[in-house]
Amino acid sequence: MATAKTRTSSFSRNLSAAAPSLGPGLKCGPNGTVFLSSGIPDLDKILGGGFPLGSLVMVMEDAEAPHHMLLLRNFMAQGLVHGQPLLYASPARDPRGFLGTLPCPAASKDDKSRERDPDQEKGLRIAWQYKKYFGENQINFDGQRDGKHEYSNEFDLRKPLERHLINGQRIDCVSIQDSSDLSTLQDRCDTFLSQLPRNDDSISSAGRIAIQSFCAPQCAHSIMEWEMLSFIRSLKSLVRSSNSVAIITFPPSLLSPSFCKRWQHMADTLLSVKAIQDEDKELAQLLTGYQDMVGFLNVHKVARLNTQVPLILEATTFSIKLQKRRYLVLECLNQAPVDGSSGASYGTSGSCSSSSKTGNLDF
Amino acid sequence: MAKSIFIALREGALEGELAPALTIKDSVASPFGFQVFDHVLCQLFSSILAGKSPSRGLIVVSFSRSPSFYLELLKSKGISVASSDKRIQILDCYNDPLGWKDQLVESGNFRAPSHEALISSVVTVFREVKHMDKLFNSIIELGRGLVGGGKIRFSIAIDSVDEMLRRASVSSVARLLSNLRSHDQISSIFWLLHSDLHKARVTAVLEYLSSMVASLEPSHQLANGQRGDLENFSLIEHNSKKGKFHVRFKKRNGRVRMMSEEVHIEQSGINFTPLSSEGAINQGLVPKVQFNLQLSEKERIDKANVVLPFEHQGNGKPLQIYDGRRSLVDSKHVDAVENVETNEDGGRGEIIYYRDSDDEMPDSDEDPDDDLDI
Repeated sequence: MATAKTRTSSFSRNLSAAAPSLGPGLKCGPNGTVFLSSGIPDLDKILGGGFPLGSLVMVMEDAEAPHHMLLLRNFMAQGLVHGQPLLYASPARDPRGFLGTLPCPAASKDDKSRERDPDQEKGLRIAWQYKKYFGENQINFDGQRDGKHEYSNEFDLRKPLERHLINGQRIDCVSIQDSSDLSTLQDRCDTFLSQLPRNDDSISSAGRIAIQSFCAPQCAHSIMEWEMLSFIRSLKSLVRSSNSVAIITFPPSLLSPSFCKRWQHMADTLLSVKAIQDEDKELAQLLTGYQDMVGFLNVHKVARLNTQVPLILEATTFSIKLQKRRYLVLECLNQAPVDGSSGASYGTSGSCSSSSKTGNLDF
Repeated sequence: MAKSIFIALREGALEGELAPALTIKDSVASPFGFQVFDHVLCQLFSSILAGKSPSRGLIVVSFSRSPSFYLELLKSKGISVASSDKRIQILDCYNDPLGWKDQLVESGNFRAPSHEALISSVVTVFREVKHMDKLFNSIIELGRGLVGGGKIRFSIAIDSVDEMLRRASVSSVARLLSNLRSHDQISSIFWLLHSDLHKARVTAVLEYLSSMVASLEPSHQLANGQRGDLENFSLIEHNSKKGKFHVRFKKRNGRVRMMSEEVHIEQSGINFTPLSSEGAINQGLVPKVQFNLQLSEKERIDKANVVLPFEHQGNGKPLQIYDGRRSLVDSKHVDAVENVETNEDGGRGEIIYYRDSDDEMPDSDEDPDDDLDI
């Protein structure tokens, strides 16, 4: 499943050996990293391939909306689809119950956008004077490999995951509500990760750890801030030396500000979800597609292992939408089109927006 | 709008969902929390009695007020508890929360007063408020006794969470509330909180655990908290009768609904009226937006339909090169307005071009390329 090496700069790491053979659901990335999918194809694209193995992802929840659960569901379901072992910890009494809400991969639809018509009339529109040259310029489009579909699936949030995928797997569920300290969780993570050591041979399988609402108030350890921080620290180092990705979600409003900052610094990849206000007329005027949005996703930090070059994103805020109420998509925020025919088209000044909210958007 | 709270509490939880939970939050500046709590309680109970709710009973956990207060309250609203067919039970954590009276009775120094029959049939005394898990068990037991086991649901009203927090830790109270919310038989739950009795984190925790937060705020903010000033006196008086009622709803689809009303306290009760001035301030962040550079489906189709100027020649007709001095010969509709040019080809697609300013001469366009036909 190795893809073609992408060269992003003239300095690239010389891999002395051939790329290691990878199990399902893994792909090679630049600088010798291996990615696994987050379960949301849009998010994989934004992050430059997916979550790198050995990284710690932290998601800051919004107390007013359950969007972090959407991210977790897709993450866990993707792992089960690929047969990757999973450790799930949550403050609920019975975490297994959550597995019943995992979504099923959507049936692959005809990707019209991926088809390239070899016919000359479609595709590029060549000026008529140059058509005589067309035959010489064979533009060859790389057909999308089927391998790409295997790496990352779109999930249908309305259909539950098939039971055999949940029952037959190595899934470990831990409830973090009752234990007075973090030692049980620590032990379970230790045993889980010891099965996935990192070495230079082929990676047959990668594991996923999902810890939901880590500092939820009903957990006894939620006031032990230093202990939680040291747990995260040790988890991060364990994950770094194994073939796995850990994702921790937490509500930042329940932590003291200094610890909130410390936790954010601990993360390799830091995301946050925000609720969106209902029936907000100003926001509806400002953004297109406001009606379909359910929330915002912010990308604060992207993991860059084995490299000094940061990933500069074009945009850091994305809107979370549910397409047809089934598929999770992330979109850039777009300004609502300003009606160009209204008002005088001549004599206007150079401002780009005629709405009253020019404060933030003056150019 | 306060109606929507009642409706949400009345409808209760769907299958597999956490029960809706309401936090009523007030402070010294606008201390109407108790009145709002009573109002919600009466509304919910009357809808339970009328059978409009899937919830079949109400458990009141009373910490700050005596159970007889609630029975009087319901009687004054015209709801008779005696004939209410055992739909309400009160867990009395007010009279003897730590079990002292019991101990005194045992030691012989104290004669417990006897209660009338009605009260004792409705009220159960709870004596171990330090132990949240025992409280949880008692609530569930009481509820089951009221509505039976199985799938029948009941609602819970907790008089004041502050009293619970006095004696138990935040995490055990949080555990109690979240376990109540996730219990199969609980339809809805609501509680009262005085926000200035606690640290900010405690309020944040309770807001995290609830699906609706109703907060009471004074209509006029007092300057610097001065109470003795004559000017502020009228404001204080004003604030003692009126206030603002803000509600934040966490909806199922993940959006947050914010609503505001004015609340008036009168002898007979409490009234909600829509806000006189304009509505809630938008506090959401305005994220950095970009221009939409992508095309929707319809736009893409329209764009595909336009035959671009460099395309439609070479079909056998004589070639024409635009030299910048003639207006369009083959345009079918020439607009009277000078500054709009259209390039129309058989009605298939249009490029509409608005000139930026009036004094731009047609000739000042850049030299067109030879192979363009404009």
